[in-house]
Amino acid sequence: MTAASPATLNSRTDARSGAQLVIDALEHEGVRRVFGYPGGAIMPVYDALTASSLKHILVRHEQAAALAADAWARVTGEPGVCLATSGPGATNLVTGLANAFMDCVPMVAITGQVASPLMGTDAFQEIDTFGITLPVVKHSWLVRDAADIPDIFAEAFRFARSGRPGPVLIDLPKDVTQANVTVPRALACRTAARAVFPLDAKALAAADRLIASARRPVLYFGGGIALGQAEGALRAFFQRSRIPAVATLKGLGALPTDWPGFLGMLGMHGTRAANTAVNDCDLLICVGARFDDRATGRLDSFAANARVIHIDGDAAEISKLRKADVALAGDVSAILSALSGETGEIEGWRRTCAENAERWAFRYDAPGSGVYAPALLKQISAAAGDSFIATCDVGQHQMWVAQHCRFSRPQAHLTSAGLGTMGYGLPAGIGAALAEPDATVVTISGDGSIMMNIQELATLRRYRIPLKIVLIDNAQLGMVRQWQELFYEENFSEVDLWDNPDFAELARAFGIEAFTLDRRADVPGAVERLLSTRGPVLCHVRIDPRENVWPLVPPGKSNSDMMEA
Amino acid sequence: MTTQIDVDFLPAEGAVVRLIGLVERRGYELDAMNYVPAPGTHRLSMVVRPRPGPRRIETLKAQIARLYGVTSVSEMSAVPRLEAAS
Repeated sequence: MTAASPATLNSRTDARSGAQLVIDALEHEGVRRVFGYPGGAIMPVYDALTASSLKHILVRHEQAAALAADAWARVTGEPGVCLATSGPGATNLVTGLANAFMDCVPMVAITGQVASPLMGTDAFQEIDTFGITLPVVKHSWLVRDAADIPDIFAEAFRFARSGRPGPVLIDLPKDVTQANVTVPRALACRTAARAVFPLDAKALAAADRLIASARRPVLYFGGGIALGQAEGALRAFFQRSRIPAVATLKGLGALPTDWPGFLGMLGMHGTRAANTAVNDCDLLICVGARFDDRATGRLDSFAANARVIHIDGDAAEISKLRKADVALAGDVSAILSALSGETGEIEGWRRTCAENAERWAFRYDAPGSGVYAPALLKQISAAAGDSFIATCDVGQHQMWVAQHCRFSRPQAHLTSAGLGTMGYGLPAGIGAALAEPDATVVTISGDGSIMMNIQELATLRRYRIPLKIVLIDNAQLGMVRQWQELFYEENFSEVDLWDNPDFAELARAFGIEAFTLDRRADVPGAVERLLSTRGPVLCHVRIDPRENVWPLVPPGKSNSDMMEA
Repeated sequence: MTTQIDVDFLPAEGAVVRLIGLVERRGYELDAMNYVPAPGTHRLSMVVRPRPGPRRIETLKAQIARLYGVTSVSEMSAVPRLEAAS
């Protein structure tokens, strides 16, 4: 069942081109922004775009269009829309589609295609976009008849949002967008996609019994909280049950990270308090998480003595990797609200967890006078307050952000969790800053990652997007170097980025204010300058290349085998 | 251990490729299949065998069931395997 929003019917009986129908459909869906890059096969759509209400953001690489649309969707909750031409335009979208697929982000990707008679002939810029993208989309359509466009677009938006959200793709042959058709019927109604599932009373009662009888319960939550818009229900359950909680990388922000009882992120770079609690618990309440290998370490030793209650919006996740004693698939928010949250005697357990959190809290008194990245990131997020949104790249800085920044809402932490896409941060910052103009959006990147989409500095400049970039530069591929140091006997192979450009000069060449920070004493002033600059700004931070991310669970090991500095 | 999965789905461009691709990507070998187009829904029957790893046929069925246009997924377990006499 779906709950339909009020239908706004827009009857058209006049002849429209396929391209105009595309624009009509996007406007009808309430789309405000599209991210894209024009080219031959998509030109009819770009031609129709100029007469529309849609605001187009011209990126400098199609991958950035998809990643910016991804961030837009994560912040607004509405599908992000990206647009590219056929051939390389479409293939450049693929990483962004895969990123959205892995992290369950609703997205509608629209690609041009060579004209139908040319398909299959190896025509210029012809590629099988439909086939290439099959594994990384929820669904895709190759439009054969322009008259189908209104229905296909309505269905695409509905399906992208529904159930477990994700990206969909619509491939548009050029002859289809150029064709004139009469669409006599009303355009399809826009429908909300929030499915309504009946609650399983028997399973709820079983879950209540397990919670009441547990002595060492832990609440383990992930990205499914934000997907299910369940942070309110999660917070209420956490407050009434007072069960210690841990989050996955994608779950960060669903509970404010400074709430007592929240033990931080678990897993490979999680806190010792979080991993110890999970290791010792007798009941694991998994909500919107999927027992991902980065979170669990060696699966057979993960919460080895615990019963499991698994709550998820996607039935396919239940018992996929860890058998659930009680399974609750459906509306995560409704399920959490229906649980009583009555616990047995857990005060001693809560005290133990709190003491562990205090004993193993991160320290920020690193020796030396250089910039200590964890302390810098902590200060930035504290200074930015509740309006803070971090968009990360991938590597050491990504883990430092997860460990040390303060998040008060799920939309505050945008990270490429599933795919681990280097190059996500800058385009995601663009999407987030456009989605929430009043937020303080900070892209935290590394010197390896930022070069993957450095061209988007031009997009920042073009639209004067007030994005703050903190570029943490260790002149290394830091995370790879760390693993080579620890697990490959210091056989450092192709990780030295000694020949990086001067990033501040580079930013200035794009017309963006920039400055360099390399002394700890200058951090307060740099944070002030970063946050008070009105337009885009880049803070280039030089750090010690030998810094590692701690703690660390070695690959293939149990979370109880954490390594420390 | 092989399992026969019967999938009923609405006919659409690429639907069969999408189904087969999902089964293989999720770590199953496809031993045999039978495709029956019919008015309305089509049926694809697949005999699948899990590759090593933590794989449950219930999970695969649920993953198939969430594909667009799939109307039902059912299972027939322990399909006998025919071995060549030589």
